[in-house]
Amino acid sequence: MVARASGRDALSRARELALAGLMGALGLLLPIGFHALGWGGQVFLPMHLPVVVAGFLVSPAMAVSLGVVVPFLSSVLTGMPPLASPIAPLMALELAAKAGVASLLYRSLRAPMWLALPVAIVADWAVLALAVSLAAGFFAIRAAPFQYAWAAILIGLPGTILQLVAVPAAVLAIERRVPRLRPTKRDETG
Amino acid sequence: MPQHLGLYVRRESALHGLDPRAKMLAVTGFIVAVLLAPMHPSWPMGALLLLLVCATALARIPARMMCRRMLSLVVVIGMPFLLSRLGGEATRAAGEQFAARSLLVAAAFLVLMASTRAIVLLEVAERPPLISVFGQLGEFILRGADLLAEEVMRTNRAWALRAPTATIRVRLAGLTQASMSLISRAAARSERIGAAMVLRGFQGKLPTATPTPLPWSHLVAGLIFALISLGIAGVGRWR
Repeated sequence: MVARASGRDALSRARELALAGLMGALGLLLPIGFHALGWGGQVFLPMHLPVVVAGFLVSPAMAVSLGVVVPFLSSVLTGMPPLASPIAPLMALELAAKAGVASLLYRSLRAPMWLALPVAIVADWAVLALAVSLAAGFFAIRAAPFQYAWAAILIGLPGTILQLVAVPAAVLAIERRVPRLRPTKRDETG
Repeated sequence: MPQHLGLYVRRESALHGLDPRAKMLAVTGFIVAVLLAPMHPSWPMGALLLLLVCATALARIPARMMCRRMLSLVVVIGMPFLLSRLGGEATRAAGEQFAARSLLVAAAFLVLMASTRAIVLLEVAERPPLISVFGQLGEFILRGADLLAEEVMRTNRAWALRAPTATIRVRLAGLTQASMSLISRAAARSERIGAAMVLRGFQGKLPTATPTPLPWSHLVAGLIFALISLGIAGVGRWR
């Protein structure tokens, strides 16, 4: 019994790692595509899309890890987002909060997606404002912290609207294709 | 499609032969130096740039290739820099700092990635217990990026063959459909990858490569580079 349970755990962890890895890969590739087309990353937030989608499909711990890893890995591999400014660390906190809250609400607390996604976005903004106010002393952020956060939110508004449209569509499409990933279905089976 | 997004440049050079841990030490020292170095006077930033140019030459990475890779950062770093020019004295100074520091750090990473296979760097990050999950995830992301980049290129070739004269509207509709399909296929693929991992003996943790001792000469080389960088920044800041 124990052996079967641990085997199932290993399978679930393997699937989760693979899914998070592929969504993280999209988080690396989408910004490269956006920048190649000349569309601003700060406006459309292409890195956020796959990470938030992953937030709805994996456990909160994995979602937070993915949110932390993707901006840093992208920064090391492609130089975007800049690490020294410190945009990459702020993005890591934002993405970890957004994906973590989405996963916690949708997968752990079974909240509906129409509630989980806006709450995750608001959590992202709150974490950004808090992180900027804490980081302002350490880095050369000359603007007032809340002004900076407000500007970032306003500039990224098209990206936020894109997330509100594309994330539910992508999550529903994935759940149709892989029914195991639906939270209720997963409970029934395991 | 070249492996790991085609960042690695195969060369026989002293920098390519250096242990990745020594290179990480050198880059860490360099980044701290870039963050510490003052903008005025500007010679510390110039000296750090010169140090990086020497490392690029030592790695025998063609200057043209480095410039091409740096060009992709123009939009990301150039736009905020240009916007900062519209502001007052403080905003302009912040814009200069942002551009100079971001470009130097990005260039250091480009040299690191051109002289080291990314997967080897992530294997190093898998060993420390606290960050091992990040290293594992990073390895999956890198392998997934290769897989998906290949798929995107195949789709692109198919479009070019089937619809070479399609209007922008048709292309955008196709791009949206293809992106959605790519995301849902990626999720379906993860099911197969997970099952394959378990069949191969995955027990919840990826096996890590046996650590090899870091040769003294490599450690000293990494330390010297880091100390030179920090020395330049320190003299510039506190002199």
